[in-house]
Amino acid sequence: MSTPTARRFGRITLDMRQNLASWKQAAFLGGSLAIGLAISVAILAIAGIPPLQLASELAGVLNADSLRNTLVQAAPLILVGLGASIAFRIGFWNLGLEGQMIFGGIFAAAVSIHQIGPPSTRLIFMGLAAAVGGMFWVLVVAFLKIRFRVNEIIATLLLNYVAQYFLFHLLYGVWQDAQTAFPQSSQFRPFERLTDIGLGVNSGLIIAVVGVLVAGWFVHLSRAGFYMRFISANPAMAKVVGVPIQATTILVVAASGACAGLAGFVNVASQESRLTQSFADGYVFSGVLIAFLSRNDPIVVAVVGFLIAVLFITGQTLQVFYQIPFTMVQIIEAIIVIAVASSEFLIRHRIHWIR
Amino acid sequence: MSDFLINWIANAPVTAVPYALAALGLIVSERSGVLNLTAEGLMLVGALAGAGTSLTLGGHPVVALVVAMVSAGVVSLLFAGMVVVLRVNQVIAGLAVVFFCQGLTGLIGTLANWQNKQITGLPSLVLWPFSEIPMIGRLFFMQDPIVYLTILIFFTVNFVLFRTMIGLRIRAVGENPAAADAAGISVALHRILAIVSGSCLIGLAGGYISVVSVKLWVTGMTGGRGWIAVALVVFARWAPWPALWGALLFGCIEAVIPRIAAAGIRVPQYLMLMTPYLATIAVMVWVGAKQRAGGAEPGALGQPHVREERR
Amino acid sequence: MSLALELAGIRKSFDGVVALNDAVFRARPGEVHALLGENGAGKSSLMNVAAGLYAPDAGTIAIDGAPVSLSGPADARQHGIGMVHQHFKLVKPFTVAENILLANRRRYFRSGIQEIRKAIKAQAEELGFDIDPERRTDTLTVAEQQQVEIVKVLVGGVRILILDEPTAVLTDAEADRLLETIGRLAESGTTVVFVTHKLQEVKRYADAVTIMRGGKTVATLDPDTATAAELTELTVGQTAALPARSQTAEGQTRLNVGALSYARADGRIMLKDTSFFVRAGEIYGIAGVSGNGQAELAEALIGAQEPTSGEIWIEGMGDISHAASGQPRSAALAAIPADRYAYALAGGLSIADNFAVANIRSGRYGRAAFVDRAAMRRDARTAVADYDVQGVRSVDQKAALLSGGNAQKLVIAREFSREPAVVVAHSPSRGLDARACAAVHERLLAARERGAAIVLISEDLDEILSLSDRIGVMTRGRIVGEFVRPADRQAIGRAMVDHA
Repeated sequence: MSTPTARRFGRITLDMRQNLASWKQAAFLGGSLAIGLAISVAILAIAGIPPLQLASELAGVLNADSLRNTLVQAAPLILVGLGASIAFRIGFWNLGLEGQMIFGGIFAAAVSIHQIGPPSTRLIFMGLAAAVGGMFWVLVVAFLKIRFRVNEIIATLLLNYVAQYFLFHLLYGVWQDAQTAFPQSSQFRPFERLTDIGLGVNSGLIIAVVGVLVAGWFVHLSRAGFYMRFISANPAMAKVVGVPIQATTILVVAASGACAGLAGFVNVASQESRLTQSFADGYVFSGVLIAFLSRNDPIVVAVVGFLIAVLFITGQTLQVFYQIPFTMVQIIEAIIVIAVASSEFLIRHRIHWIR
Repeated sequence: MSDFLINWIANAPVTAVPYALAALGLIVSERSGVLNLTAEGLMLVGALAGAGTSLTLGGHPVVALVVAMVSAGVVSLLFAGMVVVLRVNQVIAGLAVVFFCQGLTGLIGTLANWQNKQITGLPSLVLWPFSEIPMIGRLFFMQDPIVYLTILIFFTVNFVLFRTMIGLRIRAVGENPAAADAAGISVALHRILAIVSGSCLIGLAGGYISVVSVKLWVTGMTGGRGWIAVALVVFARWAPWPALWGALLFGCIEAVIPRIAAAGIRVPQYLMLMTPYLATIAVMVWVGAKQRAGGAEPGALGQPHVREERR
Repeated sequence: MSLALELAGIRKSFDGVVALNDAVFRARPGEVHALLGENGAGKSSLMNVAAGLYAPDAGTIAIDGAPVSLSGPADARQHGIGMVHQHFKLVKPFTVAENILLANRRRYFRSGIQEIRKAIKAQAEELGFDIDPERRTDTLTVAEQQQVEIVKVLVGGVRILILDEPTAVLTDAEADRLLETIGRLAESGTTVVFVTHKLQEVKRYADAVTIMRGGKTVATLDPDTATAAELTELTVGQTAALPARSQTAEGQTRLNVGALSYARADGRIMLKDTSFFVRAGEIYGIAGVSGNGQAELAEALIGAQEPTSGEIWIEGMGDISHAASGQPRSAALAAIPADRYAYALAGGLSIADNFAVANIRSGRYGRAAFVDRAAMRRDARTAVADYDVQGVRSVDQKAALLSGGNAQKLVIAREFSREPAVVVAHSPSRGLDARACAAVHERLLAARERGAAIVLISEDLDEILSLSDRIGVMTRGRIVGEFVRPADRQAIGRAMVDHA
């Protein structure tokens, strides 16, 4: 045994782990999530909401009425989570989800305003247009990255602001609702809205579920999904081995933008039924959070998206009844990410205690 | 016309200071090898802390600015802990901290009722007799003290980074942490130091916006300037002085927007407001088109350091 | 007389993989002590423990008879131990003086730099080195960088100097000069330990040699009295037979590299009009000291990096030098790069995935809409058996868990699954033990038999000489001389040095 030279405390060293059993990983993840939630509950308690009260509010959210609202809220969240997770899978940090949602909403609204397509298929055209809108806004960045090596983190974030101002430009300008003179577009016609189809389920949710299935197939079963794994695991090797990196990247990024665009459409057509100023607020981080917690897996995104919707609705309730600003939701989301990200440390490293 | 020009350029330093200080703060931390995306969040923290202090104390702008710096430094410890100690992915950590700060500042600002309240600000420092020179006098010698302080800070940071032992060590840690480690330098300690001190500068940038420039607090008032500062760092190739010029450029752009409308030129308002962001993207395109491959960035930027890693 | 350095009972594992198993080491003051062993024997790991970089799981360290516990490299330096590593720990953009100042802390920068400049001059003179303190380290040659590393350690005042594979990156002449310098250093009282796997160095320059194998210390001998055969057997365990080869008729030209040039981003020209050709059924070996453009040539050939100008012509495909990452090249050209986990394997993905990626595009594993995982696993299992890849419990396990030799076998299994017309192998046996090395050589010769045109780039002259039909010597980014089998080793050595 080693003879130390006058040392009082042990010495900590770190080793990288090569492999950790799945159940252990899940345990660390679950544990850190619990800690994050505990901190959030504590903050809410300080802000004036004792935990028991919080629990009853949460339970209330899950009853029939609120469940409907939660599901309506879940649809765009799931879609945005899909958009984020698909892109993050290959290391493309698409943080322009809000901007893409906005353009999705704008293109869909354009279809409505210019009455493109017969009434029976108007909704479909709006959806397609929204997907195209989202794709357009993200492919601009993809092009800049490929051609000029522009960092997509900053570019997509900046384009969020640009999209926001463009939206204002339209809503305070040519698209301003003549009837109400508010900065919002005219109401969509009845056949241009995403309505409930019974059992409290909104058709927007159907779109989200279809999205999940398609994304799940794309990522797990298709050849493109196979290529994606190599692009994210070792891009230099992928190039040498003949993986079509550029084509796959563009495809994935476009799909990501399409999801975000659809999220904008679903949000706009199922809730307000018109284009408003702030419909896309807060979706960037929600998308990042959902993708991060789901480990970028589309199927898990569906579950996590629903849970974040619960968080959103609870936040709205707290805002209405307890005057807690909605920014609280943002703080809680950030705390959860910080807690989970920090737990990765324990998953990836083993700590030695040397005396 | 010349009135317009003078008015505009005289105001450019005021809008440029936040960009300059934020970019410099980022440069300091990135020189130690940490990819730092927290500027937007820390600027908000500085802005809120400065505004809140000023409103609570009823003035005292200097105290407010100091509080702004310290607050940002304290919050940056969260980021430093995540990326240096826990080796979290630096992109995720940066984003999480930004959103945390956005939420937190929004919450506190609303709860404490600090929104939209007028703040006293700082009077200009008149450097007599230079200020009497026609035209130029107004431009260069009648700015508020922080403008002059910023230039001083740039000189100081440049000196510390390139002409002192601590600067040598920080740069070594950023270029080749393995080499620094083998030389007996604590990579973790120096990174934390770089992050926190850089963040104090970022906090000062934010505090300046609310306390000196705009003279009030509004939720989310930094409006993306933090991200523009991040882009500026790349444009400046991680060197202090080019960052100052870049900041001046963006200061000019930001300063001209309200003046064009005021001058009676009819341009769609919101399209004008897009300009800084589009300009930033244009600058990034220009930088990317000009250089063939990365060569200026610190060698170990973005990679966490573990000593016993086996290949 | 007490021992200058004594390590006893040292144990160290990395995440379950045992690197040192009760290793022992004793060095007397003022002697030149060689640490001999194959790749993976644990020599570097043991010295990293002595230099404070690794904390041993168990065991003791004693310096000048007194036990110590090292908390890090700085602590080791305080105790008088300094190490020059195989991968230099220099900050590239810094000047020589700044690098040495970094490692030898002074209070103030300005006075410190001046002090260091003087110290550098003094040390360099003593050692016979020619070092300019103001030059940026990334403008120095590899041998010069090594000199800086040595001076850096000596300026700090060490009594025990450890060198990890110092001659791996030097020409024969530079190696001789270095080892002579070390001898002089030892005479003045410094204890020098150098880690190596080259027998000749041990016999010529070392006062004592410790042999390691499989993480354990096998023997400590006096190289003057031990025979080369004895030393080899202790090091390797069993003598490996040289691969047999048959004479194959040489066919048409399969690969023609014409005037290939490549300049790095910082302007440094790594390839300068490199030209050579390879015929079917022949192995063309490229010999040279590493750092003369071999890595860049390999990268250009396998498609990892685009050359600035010139052409790479493959029969049936034409010039592939500027093909986008489309399919052409990988279909006909097998890539066995030096750094497996950089260009050949995705460590985080499974063995089956890594194997299947070669053929997935051709549709062997399902249509574009659905990937046939079962077929992938089947093929992977067959390949693992055929190529004797050890340590595979399931083809779904991560590729990073394979040891060096087995990972290499997997790479070869995959690359050869397409019956390639051209093979590019860059340091294929780097880091492999003798058995794995022999297996790799066998495969290359088998491919040669089947008519493939093989480019073999290696710093190991023995490997080149034993396998190649023709040999090109590469210096400063171009082929400066060609030799035909059987080649004269001395002539090749001269060719490498003359143009340096």
